[in-house]
Amino acid sequence: MIGFALRRLGILVLTMLFLASMVFWLTNLPSSLKKMAKSEASVRMSDADVDLWLSQNGYDRPLTARFGEWLGVLPAWQPETESTLPGRCAAVAADGGQPFCGALQGHLGRSTVFDMPVSDVIAPKLAATGWLMLYSMLILTLGGIGLGVVAGIREGSATDRIVSALAIASTATPDYVWAVLLVVTFASATSGVSPILRDWGLIDTPTLLLGTATSAETAIDFRNFTLPVLAIGLYGVGYIASITRASMVEVMKAQYIRTARLKGLGLGRIVLRHALRNALIVPVTVVMLQFPWLLNGVVIIEIIFNYKGFGWLVVQAAGNNDIELLMGCAMVAAVIVLITQLVSDIAYTLLNPRLRFG
Amino acid sequence: MAPISPKSDRSLHARFRRLMGGAAVDRREFLALATTFGATTVVAYGMLGLPAPAHAQATPKRGGTLRMAMTVKELKDPMLMDWTEMGNLARPMLDNLVRYTQDFTFEPQLLDRWEVNDDATTYVLRLRPGVTWTNGDAFTADDVVFNLTRWCDTTIAGNSMAGRMSALIDEATGKAREGAITRTDDMTVTVQMARPDIAFISNLADYPALIVHRGFDGTVDTAKGGFVGTGAFEMERYAVGERATYRRRTSGAWWGGEAHLDGVEFIDLGGDPATEAAAFGGGEIDANYATATDYYDVLTGLGLTLHETASANTQMLRMNVTQPPYDDIRVRRALQMVIDAPKMLQIALSGRGTLAENHHVAPLHPEYFDLPEKPEQNIAEAMRLLAEAGQADTEFELISVDADYLRLPADAFAGQMREAGLKIKRTIIPGSSYWNDWTKYPLASTSWSMRPLGVQVLDLAYRSGVAWNETGHSNPEFDAALDRALATADVEKRRAIMGDLERMLQDSGVLIQPFWSSMGRHATPAVQGLGMHPTFVVDCAQVWLDA
Repeated sequence: MIGFALRRLGILVLTMLFLASMVFWLTNLPSSLKKMAKSEASVRMSDADVDLWLSQNGYDRPLTARFGEWLGVLPAWQPETESTLPGRCAAVAADGGQPFCGALQGHLGRSTVFDMPVSDVIAPKLAATGWLMLYSMLILTLGGIGLGVVAGIREGSATDRIVSALAIASTATPDYVWAVLLVVTFASATSGVSPILRDWGLIDTPTLLLGTATSAETAIDFRNFTLPVLAIGLYGVGYIASITRASMVEVMKAQYIRTARLKGLGLGRIVLRHALRNALIVPVTVVMLQFPWLLNGVVIIEIIFNYKGFGWLVVQAAGNNDIELLMGCAMVAAVIVLITQLVSDIAYTLLNPRLRFG
Repeated sequence: MAPISPKSDRSLHARFRRLMGGAAVDRREFLALATTFGATTVVAYGMLGLPAPAHAQATPKRGGTLRMAMTVKELKDPMLMDWTEMGNLARPMLDNLVRYTQDFTFEPQLLDRWEVNDDATTYVLRLRPGVTWTNGDAFTADDVVFNLTRWCDTTIAGNSMAGRMSALIDEATGKAREGAITRTDDMTVTVQMARPDIAFISNLADYPALIVHRGFDGTVDTAKGGFVGTGAFEMERYAVGERATYRRRTSGAWWGGEAHLDGVEFIDLGGDPATEAAAFGGGEIDANYATATDYYDVLTGLGLTLHETASANTQMLRMNVTQPPYDDIRVRRALQMVIDAPKMLQIALSGRGTLAENHHVAPLHPEYFDLPEKPEQNIAEAMRLLAEAGQADTEFELISVDADYLRLPADAFAGQMREAGLKIKRTIIPGSSYWNDWTKYPLASTSWSMRPLGVQVLDLAYRSGVAWNETGHSNPEFDAALDRALATADVEKRRAIMGDLERMLQDSGVLIQPFWSSMGRHATPAVQGLGMHPTFVVDCAQVWLDA
């Protein structure tokens, strides 16, 4: 078990190193650098000004040297002139000497778009997305597994048919389509249910729910957060339900379930005590694999609902070629994806006694 | 026109004293010109025997927060600003020396008044007394000298004021010329131009000319309140891409008394008009920054009030004469001739605008010359020219950025060109990379914000070799005439030169400019005193909420 975890950690480090060098290379292509210079200094500045800005800020030095500095294996570069951005970790450098100041030392650098340390930019955004993922995950897990189990108890029953049909419909409708449908139905002052409810005097706001989650950045409430959560949840819930149903159907056909029934056990007891644990092995893995999907999948939902989370941050970073912020986002995303996979592998072994490591 | 009652006001330009003697000028021209040379809006209207338009008739109520949807960009040194939104994000805290009003006139803001000599080479700027900075310092001539001097520094990459201050710059050093900017006394600064410059006052009203404190070091720390300012508000919180909030100034008094609003909030909704409509519907915002043409009806349908103004903002196609096949004037003239301007105005702007004439000077500019030659569609002649140039079968690539305001007009242009029988390839480049080479595209849609005087855009965009010259237009005769126009304070004489300039530009064929767009914004009925400004200025100090 420990050996397995160590091996996984080793792979994680290698993957991150590879990813970091790829992202660094792409964000430092000459055209990307030019784009960044323009978004930093002036959109309409001349090519000569761009070159001047790049050299003043140390971007004209070799790629490998700058990657080494980012990584923290080479000493940080210091600007020579005054009218430039402070060098990497200017505060640290003020103590004298040229310290190593990179990712290995825990310094992810400074975002050029937000003009703040990368870690300070990412942390609150990750938390914001965390809330969105948490609520979506609750809907996904409880709704998906619940529906799947109910449908899978008796294959071919009316309940099974209805749930399966709904599951296919929900999965076949992408989250951005759900988002539009939900906004039109619940968050429009001129269409859907809001005008009717207002006429009846049931709501005193123009719309039942809000079509933007902007205000959720300060405080999450039912009005501003329901729609984005539902949009993600509805898309994923059908998939989880289908997987759970299939797994449940298979388990319910197993010999030991038949034995249990012949022994005269009640259906509830059979399902909860005997079937569920085996039926959940596959869905749990799938649910864990939803984390990476969610982390990327929320991008479009965050943009549609104007919710400033991690997905939105990645878009901002990429749109402005904010090198260090993009590097930071890539590293954080990689860690989250690889760790959830690790956790899902471990959960798998706990649920399935037949698997043993060693 | 109402008779002008002669007044003897020595601060007025000689031109007016003559004008008031009965010279024929129309009302709008008189207003822009009068205010350029030192009269306030009220005085200028008074000279015409008219009351100044009253924008806020009811007594303003105190309190409330204005919530406006607007892009929240990184706040930077004003003279490096390249988006009008950035100006508005700094404007709650900072003021200009001069303000350009919604009536196309100039009013002193941090100035009390200004005087200018007859050939527009010497300007005397008299400062408004009683202005204090939020750090307690008094606003003095030192602040004005500090700002003027740094505007003249061409060694700072991206300093857009340097182009506007060229008559003050020593070309050898790339900085302010010795003796150009003089501190006459505590409250007076004298500016001596190397050559006449009629655009100086107008340039002072531009958003990169927001006045910073004399101790400003070029960095803006939004965590510590952003700027030391003279404005009516102080920064509360600033999150790029999210929101910027301001509250009524508490450190020291604002020179204008007190702001009506308790606070202002700019909320970044990401630029999608659908999101904006949803936010209006949910009661999350009180006003937007500008309404996209195809959302006028949607937002009006939500019970919002439309504020609209004419402008000299424009979206057009421009050709770069250094890039084949547009180095051939026959190709350029042919492409101009396939366009039906009234139809384009309908298609691209749903008619919300006025017709333009391929020369980038608008009827609302004081020195506009009405050329007899109006652009007309002539497909047969266009085809003949193309065949003559050997480009009859060429596939023309029309480039635009992906943003709607440039993509949609470009699509409309492409549609009309295809209808005429040309082969057009549309290329759309994402905004993130579009601006890398925006001056080099052979054929592309472009947009220009208005400048108050007709000569100003010509100076920025069509003079040989200047930074924003995206057409590659280069004509020594044009440059010389432009110099003459910029040195001619007399609007009638300047108009004659403008005629030549307009014709030269029209004949060069570098522009396909069918229309000027009107600008609109929506706000809830409670929002008062906001209106819509032709150059997008949001002056929160004037706004109040009738709640």
